[in-house]
Formats: sequence, C-alpha cells, structure tokens
Amino acid sequence: MTDRQIVSESVIEPGTGKAIELLKGQILRIEQVEGGQCADFNCFNLHDYKEFMHCGRTRTVHGFHPTTGTFMWSAPPRERAMLYILEDTVGRNDVLFPRCSAYVYEASYGFAVHTNCHDIQAEAQREYGLTPDDVHDSFNLFMCTGVDDDGHAFMTRQTTKAGDYVDLLALMDVLAVPNVCGADVMKTSNFALKPLKLTVFAATEADLAQVPKTPTLASQRTPKDFRNPTIKTDRPLRRDPAYTPEFPNTPIVVTELAVSLSPEELALFNAVKRGDIYGEDDAAALRDLLFSWWEERFLQAHAGAPAIESK
Amino acid sequence: MTETVVKLRLNQQQLELLDRTIAQGIAPDRVALVRLALHEYAAAHNTEGKTESAQ
Repeated sequence: MTDRQIVSESVIEPGTGKAIELLKGQILRIEQVEGGQCADFNCFNLHDYKEFMHCGRTRTVHGFHPTTGTFMWSAPPRERAMLYILEDTVGRNDVLFPRCSAYVYEASYGFAVHTNCHDIQAEAQREYGLTPDDVHDSFNLFMCTGVDDDGHAFMTRQTTKAGDYVDLLALMDVLAVPNVCGADVMKTSNFALKPLKLTVFAATEADLAQVPKTPTLASQRTPKDFRNPTIKTDRPLRRDPAYTPEFPNTPIVVTELAVSLSPEELALFNAVKRGDIYGEDDAAALRDLLFSWWEERFLQAHAGAPAIESK
Repeated sequence: MTETVVKLRLNQQQLELLDRTIAQGIAPDRVALVRLALHEYAAAHNTEGKTESAQ
C-alpha cells in the first residue's frame, strides 16, 4: 500500500458530494475525518451511464453488509463487477437502506428543506449532465444496519473513528459519486454531519493481484446486444406500432416424463415429499424433490444469486 | 409388487438442465437421474433413517 501513487486528494464537507472520474485500476479511499459519518455512494460506467451499480444484485451475492473482498455489481443485463472492496477498516456497510430524501425529512420531520442524500447526489451528478432521476439506490458506507425480527430494516449508531476508511478499486472506468450523508436527525451518523476525505490512488500490482477473477459470460449484455440500444430522449411513453414480442424460450412447452417407482422407492418418496405444499399431486412433489436435489448437489451460489468465482 | 408410475411435468428448460447433468455422466438417462435424485435426496433428508416398506 505504501507504494501507491496518490492521484488526488480532497475533502467533501457536510451537505455536499463530489463526482470523481475513477479509472480502471485506480482506488478511491473514502475516509473518516472525525469519525461517525455515513457516506452514500453512487457509481456509473463512465462511458455509458446506463450501466450503474445495483445494490439488489450486490446484496444477493454478498449479503447486506459488503466489506473487504466483495464486489459492487452493475444492474442486469450488464451484471459486471464494477468495483472491488480492497480494504475496509470497519466492516460495516449497508445495501439495505435507500438514500434519504427530501420527502423523508418533510414527511417525518416537517423540514421544508433539509440536507438529504438524494438531492446531494443529484447536485453532484449534475456536473456530468445527469438528472435527479439518474440517482440510484445507494451503497451506504459505514452505515450500521440490520433486520429486526419483524423483517424491518433498522439503523443504529456507528463506531467509526477518524482515519477509518474503505478502499474501492475500479474494475472499469467509472464515475464514482460519494456524498456526506445528510441525516443529522437520525442515528446514521450519530446525530452530526462531519466531513469525509477522498483520496484517489493508482493501484499497485499487489493491489490488483488481490482481485478474484469473475466470469465473463454471454448473458452479460451491453447495448450492442440490445434489440433497442437507443436511449429514449423524451419523457412521454408511446406504444411502438412496429413492436412484435420476441421473448426468449417461448412458448414454454411441458412434457411428461413417466417414472416408475418400486414400492421401496415409493416409500422413500413418501417419507420426504412435501405433501404440505403439493397435497396429492405426487408429480409436482417429485419435480420439487428433483430440483431441490439438483440445487443441493450442483448449485455453487446461494439460490437466486449467480456464481461469481471464475473457473 | 406393483410399481407406481409418477408422470413428471417438465418444460424444455428443465429438461435441458437434466440433459446437461446427464451429459456430465451423473446418470444414463432422465428416468435414472430422477431415481438417483430420489435416493440421494431421501438419504439426506429422511431423518428417521427408515421407511415403512424398507423395513
């Protein structure tokens, strides 16, 4: 780390954020100045802003608290690793909560105007021609959150100290947009707004060697693969009279596969089948068993998440 | 003893997954794969370790 060359240094003050061109192989360090400050974060492909960081995919792959050794993924159909968390001295970040917004502060607290992450992000992104509608779900650094027994997300105070940091390594050229979270009447940043330091480094060979290889698959599609690659530039929605649907793998055709079960096999089946779900429908219960077995034996990721280790 | 026939209803995508699994040498055909799944799944999940007719 000591070999890293510093590209730039800056401080973002409370109520502000900054859009930074972070090139592939550069590291953005977001660092506590006083401690106890949440940073919200957006990220776009620098050469195609329609590819942006997707908290939903990220939390499915890495859980609710991405930290050292995890990736920030872009939204489908791109689904590429945009950033890699190279180092995190705290280990408590969040992809559960959305950005705070003016509406939250007006509806819940009665503020006509209040610092909020949506509007701060929008103002920072405006430097690059983006609009308030382009702000996306935020990666919330240093934000201490969880899920309660009722299934609600909660936030609590953080324990970060001055000098704590998260290092984000760019795996593609991105526009990285951190902001000082505007929440001073919530526990998010311990009821006070503090500055954050931003440092951009050039990654060393040792830094780059830490990044696991991720797959490159045909399903990771870019505009060259789209049936409609043109970005719509007006606001009203109108039906395309020339549209004809081309949904893949349609029509879905069901085929019967007859399986003869011996009395012993039937007994095995009856012992484990999900009669609570399928009732008398043994065909559905056996299908469930078949694919449940397949998941257990062959699936290399959490159900619903892609495998991210490249072979 | 009579056998019981269960008619699985599978779509083309599900069959593709089965066929790719068979191509790995896991089982010789679709029916054999279903049987293998039944035996392995039951071995892992039948916590009583016995069944009525197996006794």
